[in-house]
Amino acid sequence: MDELTANIKEKLIEILNLSDVTPDDIDENAQLVGGELGIDSIDVLEMVVMVEKDYEVVINNKEIGEKVFSTLKNLVEYIRENSPKLMAS
Amino acid sequence: MSTTTPPVYIAGLGIISPLGIGEESTFTALQANNSAVAPLRVFPVQQQPPLPVGQVEDLRGYPHLPRAHRLALNAAKQAMEGSDCRLDAVIVGSTTGGISQTEELLAEKHEDAGLYQYHGLTTVAEAIGEELHCTGELLTVSTACSSGTVAISMACKMLESGEATWVLAGGADSLCLLTYYGFHSLQLVDKKGSRPFDVTREGMSVAEGAAFLLLTNQKPSHPHGVLLGSGLSCDAYHGAAPHPEGNGAQSAMQKAMDDAAVSADTIDYINLHGTGTSENDLAESKAVRRLFKLLPPLSSIKGLSGHGLAASGAIEAVVSAICLKNDFLPANCGCEKVDPECGLQPLSTPVEQVVSTVLSNSFGFGGNNACLVISDTEKTVAPPQSESVPLSIIGKACITGAGHTMDSLGRFFTLESMAGTLDIKTIAEQLPARAIRRMKRFSQMALALAAAAKEDSGIEQSPHAVFMGSGWGALSETWDFLDKLQSTREQFPSPIDFVGSVHNSAAGQIAISHGATGSNITSSGGDYSFEQALFAAETFLETKTRYNTAFLLAADEAHPQFIKLLDASAQKAEFAADGGGSLYLCRKAIPGKVAIKLSFYGKSCEAGGEQMLSRLGGKEQIQEKCAMILAGIPAAQEAEGEQQLDVFMQTTEIDVPVIHYRKFTGEFASASAVAAVMATQLLESGEIPPGKQILVLGFGKTLTAMQLVMQ
Repeated sequence: MDELTANIKEKLIEILNLSDVTPDDIDENAQLVGGELGIDSIDVLEMVVMVEKDYEVVINNKEIGEKVFSTLKNLVEYIRENSPKLMAS
Repeated sequence: MSTTTPPVYIAGLGIISPLGIGEESTFTALQANNSAVAPLRVFPVQQQPPLPVGQVEDLRGYPHLPRAHRLALNAAKQAMEGSDCRLDAVIVGSTTGGISQTEELLAEKHEDAGLYQYHGLTTVAEAIGEELHCTGELLTVSTACSSGTVAISMACKMLESGEATWVLAGGADSLCLLTYYGFHSLQLVDKKGSRPFDVTREGMSVAEGAAFLLLTNQKPSHPHGVLLGSGLSCDAYHGAAPHPEGNGAQSAMQKAMDDAAVSADTIDYINLHGTGTSENDLAESKAVRRLFKLLPPLSSIKGLSGHGLAASGAIEAVVSAICLKNDFLPANCGCEKVDPECGLQPLSTPVEQVVSTVLSNSFGFGGNNACLVISDTEKTVAPPQSESVPLSIIGKACITGAGHTMDSLGRFFTLESMAGTLDIKTIAEQLPARAIRRMKRFSQMALALAAAAKEDSGIEQSPHAVFMGSGWGALSETWDFLDKLQSTREQFPSPIDFVGSVHNSAAGQIAISHGATGSNITSSGGDYSFEQALFAAETFLETKTRYNTAFLLAADEAHPQFIKLLDASAQKAEFAADGGGSLYLCRKAIPGKVAIKLSFYGKSCEAGGEQMLSRLGGKEQIQEKCAMILAGIPAAQEAEGEQQLDVFMQTTEIDVPVIHYRKFTGEFASASAVAAVMATQLLESGEIPPGKQILVLGFGKTLTAMQLVMQ
C-alpha cells in the first residue's frame, strides 16, 4: 500500500469513526459508498470536506463526486492527480 | 355532552418573514410573486460571496434578545392584536432558539455564563409567555423543519379535547451560522436561490421568520379559518434525507385528511413543503401523486420566501389562511421548467380562484412529517379519543453516573449518590458500533436508553411513536460544529456534526433503529423537558392497538465546556452529571403495571400552586393517595423551589417521605426522567402500599406534577 493510500484510509477511519475497521480491511477496489463499510451520502460529504481541507481538492460536482467516491482507488487517484499540495512536494 | 369535536378556529394570526411583516404585506408580496431570496446581509460571514437566503431586514424591538426571540415576539404580538383572551398555553416550534447570540458570544470567547441565558429553545416560549402574561403551559417542540406545524397540531389537539380554550401556537427560527453553513456543508443550498420542482434545482435557501396562530374552540366573530385536522408521521428511514418514495409524507397527509374528515377530492390547494432539494421535491411529488388521483392546484412558496425551518410550517399555515380569506393561490416562484420526474404542475403564476380547503405540508430532518388541513368551513368530525386512557409503563431504563438502570437504582436504594458522567464506552456497550459511529454522547445515551427500555419490557415489538425531551440537545455536535467552523475561518464545517446537532436527531435515530413510524416529537423545556415530552405523549399517543405504544424518554449530556455556560444548575454543582431515563409506554389500562400521568405543568406563581393542588385532586385526595414525593428542585432555583415545596407540604398537611432526587441524580436538565424511573421501580418492587401514589414534583421556574400509581 503506497503512502497516500495508507494516509487516506486512516483519515477515513478517523473522520467516519469506523472504529471496527483497520486500514487493511478496506478493499481499494470495492464499492466505497453503499458497500460493506456502510458509508452513505453524509459520509461522502464529510470526505469532501476532508479532501478539500487536507489536499486542497474541491469536489462540488455530483457526477465527478460519484466517480471519485466509487472506490477508494479512484479517490486516491483523483487526489493524486489534482492536489496542488501533492504536486508541489 | 357533545359527540363531536369542537371546531378549532383561527382567531388571530401574526407573521414576519422575508415576504414582509404582517398579513397585508405578506399577501402583497405573494401577489407580486418576486422572490425575496437575496445574498446574506444580516450578519457578516467570512466565506465570500454570501449565499442567497431569506432574511428579515427590518427587525425592530428587543435589541438585547437573539433574533429568533425578536421574530417570535413580533409575530406573537400581531396574532394577539385586538384580543383580550387569557391564553391557556403558548406552543413554539424552534430548532435553534437563541443560538445566533451564542455564536457571537463564543466567537468572542465570553465565559460569563449569564450572557448565554437565551440559548435554550425554551427561552423563546418563555419570552412570549412573559410578554403576553401567560401563566399556562409554555411548550416547545423541536422536530426540525416541521416544528411549527407540530406546534399547531399540538394546540389543535388540546383545543379539541377541551383541555384548553385559547392557545397561541407557531414557530420561529432565525438565520445563524449553524444552519447557514450546515445546510451548505450538506450541499443542499442552491447558489441561484431555491427553485422548488425545477428540473435544474440545486437545493434550498435557508431563511428566517416567525408566525403564530391564535387558536380557540370558542367561535370568534371573524375567524381567519378553521383548523380541521393534522397528521404526523416519521419516515424512520434516514437522519437527513426523506424516504425516497415519500412514504412518511404520504402517511402524514393521509392522517391529516382523516383527522379532518375530508377526502382528497375536497382539497382545493396543496401548500407543498417543496424546499428545492432534489430529494425532498421528488419524494413529496411521489407521495402527492399517489394520494391525489386528480391533482388540485399546488405550489411551494419557498422560492419566494426561502425555507424558514421551524417557522416555515407556521408561516405557511398563515399563508393558507390568507389564501382562504382572499380566494387566492400563490405561485411556485423560481420553477421555470418543471422536473418531469416530479410529475407535478406547480402554479407558475398567482391565481385568483375560490379556495375553501387547504392541505399544508411540512417535512423535516429525522423524517419528521406534519401536515395540516385548514378550511373556511366548519365540518362535523368524530369525537376525540378519550384522554382518560392511562399511559402504562411496560419497560423502563435509566443512565446516570453510576451506570445503567440497575447500577443506578441500586445506588439510590442504598441512599448513595449516582451523580457523575458515565464513560461513553459503558453507555454504548449494548449498541452496535456501526449504528452509533456518527453519534456523540447525547444521541448514544438516547439510543441506549430506548434499547434498554425495550429490553426491560420483554416485548419483541418496538413502539410505534417516540416522545423525547432534552434541555440542551446534542451539545457535543453543536460545539464541535461551531468550533471547527471558527478554527477553519468558516471554511470546513462538518456535515456529520450538523446533522447530529439538530435537536431531534436522537429521536430520529431511535425511530430508525426501532422502525417507529408514528408521531415523533422532541420537546425542550429546560429542567422540565421530560414533563414536556410526557405532555406530548398524552396529547398524541393513540389508543388504537398497534399504534398505542411509544418510547417516552429524556436525556442530557454534560459537555465539558458548553454545559457550564448554559445550565445554571450545573454551574452550581460540585461535579458534572448527566444521563436520562426512558419508559416504554402503552396507552391502555394494564393491571399490574405502573401508570404515569402529567397532572400539572404551569408557571410557578401563587395561582399556579393552587391550580396544581386542584389538578392533583385537592388536599384530601392527596392526603389519601400520596405515599411519597420525589421533589426536583434545580440548584439554581433552590431558594424559591424549597419555598414552593414548603407551601405544598403545609397546604396539603401530608406527612410522607420527601426525596430531593437531584441530590442523587446530580444536576442535569433531564433528571426528572430518572426520577420517573425511580418511582416506577419503587412501585414495582411493592414498597409502596397498593393504591398509593408517588408524586414526582418539579419546582423552580415552572411547577410540574407527575403522578405514578400501580394499576
